[in-house]
Amino acid sequence: MTNTRIFGYADPLNPKAGDAVDFMISVEGRHEVETKLVRLVHGDENPEGPGFIEEEIETDLPSWLNVKRQYTQVGSFARCDDPDRRLDGLQSFTVFAHICPTLPKAERQMIMGRWAIEGNRGYGLGIDPDGHVSLWIGDGESVDQITTEIPLVPRAWYFVAARFDGQSGEAELHVINCVNPWNSRISTVVPFEDDSWIKETLRVRPAATADDAVFHLAAATAWNRQRGTYASFLYNGKIDRSGVYDRVLSREEITALSGGAAPTADGLVAYWDPTVGITETGVDDRIVDTGPHGLDLAGVNRPVRLMTGFNWAGADSFRLAPETYGGVHFHDDALTDSGWEVSHSLRLPANLRSGVYALRLRAGGMEDHVPFFVRPQTPGAKIAVLMPTFTYLAYANEHLAYEAPIAQAIVAHTPVIVAEDLEYKKLEEFGLSTYDHHSDGAGCCYSSWRRPIISLRPRYRMPAMNFPWALPADLSLLWWLEHAGYDYDILTDHDLHAEGAGALAPYKVVLNGTHPEYYSEEMMDGTEDYLRGGGRVMYLGGNGYYWVTGLRAGEPHCIEVRKLDTGSRAWQAEPGEGHLACTGERSGLWRSRGRAPQKIVGLGFTTEGMDESQPYERMPDSFHKRVSWIMQGIGDEEPIGDFGLAAGGCAGVELDRYELGLGTPPHAMLLASSWGHSDNYPLVSEEITYAFPGRGGTQDAQVRGDMIYFTTPNDGAVFAAGSIAWSQALPCNGGDNNVAQIMRNLLDAFTKDGKLPGSQYTGDEKLWR
Amino acid sequence: MARDKKFYLIGQRPRELLFYPPGSAPLRRRRLPGTRRHLLKWRSRANPKSLRQERRLADKRPLWWTIGLGALLVATPFLSNSMITIAAIFCMFAAINVLWTLVIGTAGIFSLATLAIVGIGGYAAAVLNVWLGLPWPLMFAAGGLAGLFVGGFLALPSTRLDGLYYALLTMGFAEICRVFVVQLKALGPTNGSINNVGSFIPKDWFLQRPGLLLGFGGAFLLLLLSLLIFRIVNSERLGMLLQTAREEEAYAEAVGIDYRRARMYVFLITSGGLGVIGAFYAMFYMSISPSIFSLDQLLLLFAMIVIGGLGRSEGAVIGTAVVVLIDKGMLELGPPRILLIAAIMLVVTLFANNGLVGIREQFRNYRNRKRSEARARRTEKGGEVMPEEAIEFTDKQEIYYRRFQKRLRDHLKTLITDELIEEHRKSPLGKHSDALNRVLNYFRRGEMADKYAIMRQPDGFHRYKIIAFSGERGAPPRLVDDRIYEDINEAYHAVFLLRVNDLLES
Repeated sequence: MTNTRIFGYADPLNPKAGDAVDFMISVEGRHEVETKLVRLVHGDENPEGPGFIEEEIETDLPSWLNVKRQYTQVGSFARCDDPDRRLDGLQSFTVFAHICPTLPKAERQMIMGRWAIEGNRGYGLGIDPDGHVSLWIGDGESVDQITTEIPLVPRAWYFVAARFDGQSGEAELHVINCVNPWNSRISTVVPFEDDSWIKETLRVRPAATADDAVFHLAAATAWNRQRGTYASFLYNGKIDRSGVYDRVLSREEITALSGGAAPTADGLVAYWDPTVGITETGVDDRIVDTGPHGLDLAGVNRPVRLMTGFNWAGADSFRLAPETYGGVHFHDDALTDSGWEVSHSLRLPANLRSGVYALRLRAGGMEDHVPFFVRPQTPGAKIAVLMPTFTYLAYANEHLAYEAPIAQAIVAHTPVIVAEDLEYKKLEEFGLSTYDHHSDGAGCCYSSWRRPIISLRPRYRMPAMNFPWALPADLSLLWWLEHAGYDYDILTDHDLHAEGAGALAPYKVVLNGTHPEYYSEEMMDGTEDYLRGGGRVMYLGGNGYYWVTGLRAGEPHCIEVRKLDTGSRAWQAEPGEGHLACTGERSGLWRSRGRAPQKIVGLGFTTEGMDESQPYERMPDSFHKRVSWIMQGIGDEEPIGDFGLAAGGCAGVELDRYELGLGTPPHAMLLASSWGHSDNYPLVSEEITYAFPGRGGTQDAQVRGDMIYFTTPNDGAVFAAGSIAWSQALPCNGGDNNVAQIMRNLLDAFTKDGKLPGSQYTGDEKLWR
Repeated sequence: MARDKKFYLIGQRPRELLFYPPGSAPLRRRRLPGTRRHLLKWRSRANPKSLRQERRLADKRPLWWTIGLGALLVATPFLSNSMITIAAIFCMFAAINVLWTLVIGTAGIFSLATLAIVGIGGYAAAVLNVWLGLPWPLMFAAGGLAGLFVGGFLALPSTRLDGLYYALLTMGFAEICRVFVVQLKALGPTNGSINNVGSFIPKDWFLQRPGLLLGFGGAFLLLLLSLLIFRIVNSERLGMLLQTAREEEAYAEAVGIDYRRARMYVFLITSGGLGVIGAFYAMFYMSISPSIFSLDQLLLLFAMIVIGGLGRSEGAVIGTAVVVLIDKGMLELGPPRILLIAAIMLVVTLFANNGLVGIREQFRNYRNRKRSEARARRTEKGGEVMPEEAIEFTDKQEIYYRRFQKRLRDHLKTLITDELIEEHRKSPLGKHSDALNRVLNYFRRGEMADKYAIMRQPDGFHRYKIIAFSGERGAPPRLVDDRIYEDINEAYHAVFLLRVNDLLES
């Protein structure tokens, strides 16, 4: 009996009650799965908490679905539909491109061409496993090739051109070094002479591929019986301007093209210029053909745009010199859309309670949950929990515990993995997170919900630190709200992004999840507007409002972030490549763009560590009548949250600090702070100008978590407990504990209209002691 | 431990002819007409020291062949008559041996019927010429066909019998042929020989200088042809199929290689070739005698292959040259020359792994072994990098890392005490003493390959086993041991103990 493997994803991730949601399911080893709609109440199975709880929901969902194995096209490339087949059956031709290869590979990497791997037909310019540039010609019987003699240097720009004379069979390859002081990893001081000009007479003439292949940039067309056609021979690296002529170009013409000259019209079939179509608000996946036939290329799996091109000379951004931003970076492991067939489309009942739901799939003793987030058709509750779906995507399928040698040093843990982790890693077809590197070492800037995501599963624990992360951690908050009898709706980052303050406005109070780290400008604005208009926010997370994140309009499934210059960053964008292709704005930390999180919720990231969490201790401000109601029921020196499902405390994992210098409102009250963190909690890098020893928890006063409160216009307020571990302390002791007590005090006050408790104590204190 | 810590100077000038093609001018690569092959294996590289593009002849064997055979061709006309004969005999035997190498080496069939097939080809051609008046050009075809016929007959048992038995069978076959020819009544008067065979050498040139030169020319051509056959069979499709079969027969069969059929083809092709050589033999001497089937001839041939080295055409040719020079060129030595050949054969088998042609590789292996021994003496595992090792590092920073890690480990080892281990056991996570922090941080920063981790078992929340990562994307981790830990802190501590152990052993 074969093993059963079940994978699936939901699209959209954030439907409203009454909307339809599509489920894409792939199953190996079975043709049917048992399905059930469930509401996720709690996820983590830790025996110290409530354990895994789901509630089965009766709907008109069929209890069994017919399913099949679905395949995923991994790798980014660009394809040309070419309806008139102008790029097929060329006899005499020239193909050329500016390229910056990044990784020699054990298989051929196709730069451009129309090549059918099955059947050996067509033509293709590529890089062979030895790193040589080669032109392949196939007539359906045999393949002939011409190759250069020395390998390309990775991360250096070249111009490559191949010309083929269909009459004489004479082929030529031209490789012209384009390294300038700015554009490549190495500079012009390196005495390498990588120009090549090879001539050889081939025996084979290219055959037309017809429907067996399409013209690709960065891929060739493969076929097998199970999958049908798909793209293979994927290329790692950048391609700038490229083109095709249906005649043989002279050396002079080739040299002119290598310098970036506009192509002459005679015989030009296509000229793809990635700088065309760049606007102030970014660029889409289309690579525009400026030639006579308009054969635009469509990017698949989001080739990374707004990258520096062969002629880049140090412009800070594409805004200053868009003509030098023709780089399009292709990766053989990129994935932004699995593109699976819909297995079932479910119309949600209009009266379905808002919450986190999942399609539970069972077959052959295996089980999988495909989660999605349902907001109500019309807001009903006073409390909204903002599920940080941007963060969920940013961490989706992260490989840190497996691939980052420093991960154990960061988290101070030995990783703890489970069998499901291995299943996902084994397949390697569900893509990367924004914490991972592509196979050529470049950071991954896109993450999408159109793929199975193991980290978006109710029982998931992040292997690196062995406690729940993101969704399952946030379920602790939802479980507690339900347990404590509070009625709530859920919203997602995507709703806030799409609707701004309007999404929050119906609610008296909005709760953040444990880790609202990825924020778009729309989300920042929406939150700020909501607070200015009298909204109340409970910021119950750590390291929030941190990375400048973007979405392309109309494509909410895929977030983009560029990690650069500072912050706790898993990778660093290359110089000049810090802008989001989907919006055109500069990415990096919000703090670097003048909107530190302190300016909205009063706290900002200061330290992280995963070995041991600590409790909060009350600070003197908490005894002021403006805020003492928050601490009702808490002893004067009682440790707050010396328990928790995240490393045994409510202040830990990632912690935020009060900092007037970064924009904490001047009237914010410091209610409590944590103490006693180990040196595995170092001060974060964005705080470090000069490096000197002793920036760990035992020596640096900035290493702590703060709990603050401040009022905003029109009876609004912010309560911020700057710790990821906060909400995971709530389920302890059956949900009755002092962290929960503070939450009750706040929610009871925040859900009431009008003045906030303590707001009358604005007089000057006349004190005798 | 490093006893001999001396830093030797290393570095060498280039020792072969290098070309520096400019990238701004076309480099035309020519092919052999009608093929996709290039005549010579020119390869370029970016010199790792200068980054300059250098072009060199990567496979120099064609060069050595041209020089060797060219010298023979140019020198022979200036030799004495007897030496010309020796050169011709050399060419003829070399041709036979090259084909025999195909049978033994490429096809892996241990056949000793080589000379028998040559003889049968010769006799068939001679009989047809002498009694039926077949003109000499057609004798080649007759010899070839006879060889092919006998080869087909002999090939049948080749897949049924293993090495030694097949060798005995073929030896027996040669003896049967000899006895058959000797006992033929028709050849009685000549003791089994056929004389006055027609030839490409005109009758009145026979044993005259022009005749000898012509004979040599023919034999030389024969050698070139057999080398061509060797090249085509050994390095093309048939040879590649058989190479796979030689490495692993079952695997070859599993991937659909019919190596038995391929062996048969090789055997048939060489048999045909040997038959042609037989016809040439009869014409060259204008006669043929049963001695061609004799054991001593066969053993002499065998000596050639053994001295030269099995499986390679160079071996066949060099071995033939050595033996022919001694056997035919040192006639004045008399019978001891046979002893000399035997002695050479003995020395070669005792000291060389694969004959004379294998000496170069054997020397390289020897040098590599010496180098490893020297390195083992002078360096320690994970220790300081010696200059001769440094050339193997692309990223020179790694060399410093090695030094740093070595010294760091030496220091950390002094920190490992029972108290430190006890401290960790009590509390694997959280605040630790300075010493334990340092040790832990070293462990945590290690490379991913073989880095320990813990795997939760599906049958319970607190059931853990220890595994180690592969360090490669997609390659699963391995189980370190089968023990189940019921407490996560115990598992953390078990990993710690493993790492301490690794540290102390390093």
